[in-house]
Amino acid sequence: MALTTLRLRAPALRLSALPRASTTQLRAASTQQPTPPPAESPVEPLTHYRITLKRSAISLPERIKGTLESLGIHRRLQTVYHEHSQINAGKILRVKELVEVHNVPASAVRTKTEQRHERKAPRGYAVVGSRLDQSL
Amino acid sequence: MFGAFRPTAVSLGGLLWKIPWRLSTTRKANVRKRLRAVDSVIEAVRASGVECGSLNKALELPKEHEMPPKDKYTTYSPYGRGYRKGIHKVPKWTRRTLRTNPKGF
Repeated sequence: MALTTLRLRAPALRLSALPRASTTQLRAASTQQPTPPPAESPVEPLTHYRITLKRSAISLPERIKGTLESLGIHRRLQTVYHEHSQINAGKILRVKELVEVHNVPASAVRTKTEQRHERKAPRGYAVVGSRLDQSL
Repeated sequence: MFGAFRPTAVSLGGLLWKIPWRLSTTRKANVRKRLRAVDSVIEAVRASGVECGSLNKALELPKEHEMPPKDKYTTYSPYGRGYRKGIHKVPKWTRRTLRTNPKGF
């Protein structure tokens, strides 16, 4: 039974890849983590802030809540990445009691979708082939 | 003086929340933890190499290890005894910057 489901799922994977989707979509479909190759240069420049909301802004002034919105943070423990700039630094310092900030290189930046796929548990199997494709 | 209708603070005043006069050891430890967390945020922004006015202002704030205990756990109040009150009596005190006080107080 498990084998049949495996074989049924395999073409679906291929289908999603068929219409020449962008590389990010392809990466999302694969089970491997989209980790970059080990650093070519030993020290990569830190270019982005990794900002995580640790404390909620509930019942704080609207301007504080608006700052979080403008950083793209909508819920607690959400992580966003922003590049180093005066504007972003000012926003972070406005909400410094609520967030945790780390400086990260550009290769460590993840979109919301990529973060979700990294959190996801591995499937526990890998699709190696399909009989359906062989018969065709 | 005794009985079901005795005049107590609760029966006379309705809702009564008692805020302790001083912070407990645990709460003071948590205060220091939060102060250090904010210090690390300021330090991260400083380490990013960006220069801006808000960063200069944040760097002027005393760090957790530079603050006297008086400033960590109490704050200025024009009505308090000795012009001070517990910092935990300030609304939203865990999410606000309350590090500096008027000079001389």
